[in-house]
Amino acid sequence: MELHAAQFPFLSLLLLICIAGLALVLILPAKSNAAVKWVSAVCSGAALAVSVFLFAAYDRAAGGMQFVEQVEWIPSLGITYLNGIDGFGAPMLLLTGIVFFTGVLSMWELDYRVKEFFALFILLVTGVYGMFMALDLFFIFVWFDVSLLPMYLLIVIWGSSAREYGAMKLTLYLLFGSALILPGIIYLVSSSGLATFSIPELVQNARFSDFQQKIAFLLFYIGFGILAGVWPFHTWSPPGHVAAPTAVSMLHAGVLMKIGAFGILRVGMFLCPQGWIYWSPLMAALATIGIVYGVMVGLRQTDLKFVIGYSSVSHMGIVGLGFATMTVDGINGAVFQMFAHGIMTALFFSAVGHFYDRTHTREIGELGGLSRVMPAASGYFIIAALAGIGVPCLASFWAELLVFIGAFRSYPALAFISVSVLVVNALFMLRVVQKTCFGPVNERWANLGDMTFSMGFPRAVLAAAIVGFGLMPFLMYDVIQTAAVPLINGLSTLADQADADSVNTILSGLTSRLP
Amino acid sequence: MTDWTLFIPELYTLAAAGVFFILCMAGPDPRRDYAAALALSAAGLVLTVLSVGFEGLIFADVYRIDLYSQVFKVLVYSGFFLAVCLCSDLSGVDEARHGEFYLLLALSTLAMMLLVSSVHLLTIYIALELSSYSLYVLVYLRRGYEKGVESALKYFLTGAASSALMLFGFALVYGSGGSAYVADLMQSLPARINEPLVFAGFVLSLSGFFFKLAVFPFHLWAPDAYEGAPHQVSGYIATASKVAAIAVLMRFLAISGGHGEQIAWLLIALAIASMTAGNLAAVAQKDLKRLLAFSSVAHAGYVMIGILCLNPQGYTAAVFYALSLLVMKFTCFMIVVKASYGGRNININELAGLHYRAPVLALALLLALFGLAGIPPTIGFTAKLLVFKAAMDQGLLWLVIIAMFNVVISLYYYLLVLKAAYYTEPEVRAGAIAVAVPFKLLAAAMIFLMVAGGLYPAPVIGIAESMTAVLLPW
Repeated sequence: MELHAAQFPFLSLLLLICIAGLALVLILPAKSNAAVKWVSAVCSGAALAVSVFLFAAYDRAAGGMQFVEQVEWIPSLGITYLNGIDGFGAPMLLLTGIVFFTGVLSMWELDYRVKEFFALFILLVTGVYGMFMALDLFFIFVWFDVSLLPMYLLIVIWGSSAREYGAMKLTLYLLFGSALILPGIIYLVSSSGLATFSIPELVQNARFSDFQQKIAFLLFYIGFGILAGVWPFHTWSPPGHVAAPTAVSMLHAGVLMKIGAFGILRVGMFLCPQGWIYWSPLMAALATIGIVYGVMVGLRQTDLKFVIGYSSVSHMGIVGLGFATMTVDGINGAVFQMFAHGIMTALFFSAVGHFYDRTHTREIGELGGLSRVMPAASGYFIIAALAGIGVPCLASFWAELLVFIGAFRSYPALAFISVSVLVVNALFMLRVVQKTCFGPVNERWANLGDMTFSMGFPRAVLAAAIVGFGLMPFLMYDVIQTAAVPLINGLSTLADQADADSVNTILSGLTSRLP
Repeated sequence: MTDWTLFIPELYTLAAAGVFFILCMAGPDPRRDYAAALALSAAGLVLTVLSVGFEGLIFADVYRIDLYSQVFKVLVYSGFFLAVCLCSDLSGVDEARHGEFYLLLALSTLAMMLLVSSVHLLTIYIALELSSYSLYVLVYLRRGYEKGVESALKYFLTGAASSALMLFGFALVYGSGGSAYVADLMQSLPARINEPLVFAGFVLSLSGFFFKLAVFPFHLWAPDAYEGAPHQVSGYIATASKVAAIAVLMRFLAISGGHGEQIAWLLIALAIASMTAGNLAAVAQKDLKRLLAFSSVAHAGYVMIGILCLNPQGYTAAVFYALSLLVMKFTCFMIVVKASYGGRNININELAGLHYRAPVLALALLLALFGLAGIPPTIGFTAKLLVFKAAMDQGLLWLVIIAMFNVVISLYYYLLVLKAAYYTEPEVRAGAIAVAVPFKLLAAAMIFLMVAGGLYPAPVIGIAESMTAVLLPW
C-alpha cells in the first residue's frame, strides 16, 4: 500500500469542521432553534465542500493512499492516528458529504428538541467520516461505535412507529456486530506480533497464517456484515429504517450501512485475503439470498418505508455479491453501488419523508395521484425509484452492471438468479410508483401544497448526483479503479483462485478512449 | 529505623478521624460536619498526591510504600473525597449521626490505605477487616429503611464467612511457605504452587478479596447492601472499596510468580461466572442501585480477565480498569444522589425527564453508561481494550468473545436507563433539579475524564505501566 503524505491535513480538517459544528451547537442556548439549524447547515456545507475537493483532488494517476496524516497516539500499544483515503475512501467521503448536507436541510422543519437532534446528528456524521478515513484499527473501531450510538437516541426520541422496539433492536444488533469486530481486531494485532494497529504496516509486514485469516475474516464479515444488512443479520434494518426520522433514515440507509460494507473491505479484505478467498462462496451465497429475500419480502409490503427498507437489503446484497466475485469489475461495481445506493436511498427516504410530513401516512393504498398535487416531490420519488431498479443513465445502473459482469464470470448461477429477481423487483417498483404518484387523486390530499424551493433543494442535489454520475460514470469509476486493481493483483499473486482474467475489466477500454 | 515521614498520609487520616470523633461528641450540626469533612478530605487528597514518589519499607518490612501503593492510595482517597462531595444532601442518614458517618468513612479509608501497602499476611488481614467493619456499620446507618437490617446483616455474614475462609487459607499458605511476608512467599511458593495444600491455601486466601470485589460466588451481599445503604455509602463501596480490592488482589496473586496457570483457570471460570451472573441479573432490576450493584459484579469479572493474565500487560490493564471504574461508578452515583428525593431509593423510570431537569448530569450519565458498557470513545472502552488485548496476547480469543457477548447483554440495561433519562416523559412534569455550581464543575470534570480517558489515555497507561513494573519481578 503506497502512502502519500498530505501537504495539508485536509482529512483532519474535515473532522475538525464537524467537531467545531458540534461544539457550537452544544454551546448555543437551548431555545435558539434557528441558530442551531444554521450552524448545522454551514458545518455540513463546509464538510461537503471539503469532501468534494478531496474527491476531485485525489490523484488518479498516482493511486494508493493519499492525504495521509500520521501522529503517534498511544505508543505503548502501537496505536497511531493514521488517516488516508484511497480509491475506496474518496467516493465514500463524497457520499457522506452529500448525505450530511442534504440530511440537515431535510430536517429544516424540525421543531422538537432541535439542539439535541443536530448535536447527535453531527456526532454521528463525525464518526462516519472518521471511519471512512481511518487506517488504524483502533480508530476504525472507535469511529465505528461513535457512528452507531447516537442512533439509539435519534430513533427513540424523534422516530415514528414502533420506535422503542426498532431502536433497541437496531442498537443491540449493531453492537453485537462490534462485539465480534473488537476480538477480531485484537486477535490480528496480537497474533501479528508487531505491536501495531496500523493497517498499512500490518498489510506490509504481518504474516498471518491461513487459519488466523479465516477466523479473523469471519469475525469481520459477520461483525461488519450485520451493519451492511447481510442476510440473515439484516432483520434490524427495515424496522430501524421505518422507526427513524427522515434525516436519520437517509443517513442510516445511505451511509451507515456502507460503513459495514466498507469495514469488510478495508479490514477484512485488506488484512485477510486468504480468509476472503476461503469465505467468498459463502459471501456470494448469502448475498444472493439477500437479494432474493429483500425483493420477495418487499413485494408484500404496503408501507413505503418498509418497501425501501427491504430494497436496501437486496441492494446491499449486490454489494456483497460484488465483493465475493474477487474480480476488479466486481469490486468496482460493489463500491460504485455503495455510492449509488447511498445517494439513491437518501433521495428515496427524503421523498417519502416529505410525503409523510404532508399526508401523515405511508400506506401505498392510501396515497395516489400525488404527481398532480406535488409534482416536484413526486418527481424526486420517481427518480429514486428508477435509480433503484437500475435504469440506464442513472448511477446505480453502472454499479449493478459491473457487479453482474463480475458475478457472471465467478458465479454464473447465482448471478442469473439475482438478475431475474431484480426484473421482478423492477416491475413491482414501477407499480408502487404508479399507485402513489399517478392514478386518481385521493381527495384528502387534493389541497396539499408542493415542496418549496428550500425543501426541494436538498432533493435536487441528490437527484443531480444520481443523474450526473449516471451520465459520467468514469468520474467515479476511475477513482475506484485505482484501489481495486492493486487489491485484486495482490490476490492473484497470493493464490491461483483469482486468475489474470479477473483483472481485465469491461470498461478499461472504454475509459482509456475518453478524452 | 522507621521513617515516619513515609506514613504521613495515613497519620493525617487518623488525625482526621480523631477530628470527626470530637465532632460527633460535640453534638449534631450537619453543616459544620459537612464542611469539616469536605476540607479534611480535600487536604488529605492533596497530601496523598504529594506522597506519590515516596519509596520504602517500614514497620519491620510489613508495610511497603512504592509507586504502586501510593497511586492506589490516591485513587482510594479520591473515592473518599468524592463520596464526601456527595454528602451535601445526606438526607439518607439521621442528622445526629452525620459525625459518626464521616468518622466511619475516614476509618474505612484509612484501612484501605493500609491495605494497598500491606506486604505481610497479617497486615493484609487486619487492614481488610478494619475496612469492612466500618462499612458494615455504614450500610446500617440508613434512616427509616426497613430492609436496612437485612442488608447490613447479609453484608456482615458474607464478609465474616469469607474472611474466615481467607484466614484458613492464610494459615495454610503460612504453614507451607514458612513465612508470612509476601516477598518471602514469592521466593518459596511459586515452584510448589500446584501442590494440593499450597493450592488450596492460596485459593482460600483469595476469598476475602473476592468478597471485597464482589466476584461470583461472593457477590450475594452486593445487591442488598447497595440497595439498603445510604447512596453515598453505596457509591463509596462501588468505587474506593473496589479499587483497594483490585490493588491487594494483584499484589497477592503475584505470589504465584509466573507459575499460576492452574490458578488462572480458576480465575477464568470465576470471571466468566461473574460477568454472566452479574449481567443477566442486572437485566431484571428496577431499582437503579441494585442495577449498579449487579453491574459491579459483572465488572469484577472484566477486571479479573486482566488480572488473571498475571503479566505486566494484564496488571496495567487492571490498574487502568480500576481508575475507569472509579470515575464511571462515581458519576452514576452522583446522578443517584441528585435525582432521588430525600435520600430515597430511585427506580429507573423515575429518571424520566432528567435531560431537561439537569442537562449536565444527563450528559454525564450518558457517558458513564456508555463507558460502563465499554463503548468508545470513553474511558471504559480503553479499559476494556487493554484488558482484552492482554488476554488475547495469552491466546484467549474465546474468553474475549464471551466477554464481548456479555458487553452486548449489559448494553441492553444501560440503554434502558438511558432511555428513561432521555426519552421517557415524567408523569407529573417535575421541575429542574437544583445543581449547585461546584457540583456542575464536578460533573464537568467527570465528563472530561471519561472522554479524555477514551481519546488520549497514553499518559495514564504510562503511569500504570511503571506502577505494575515493580510488582512482577520475574
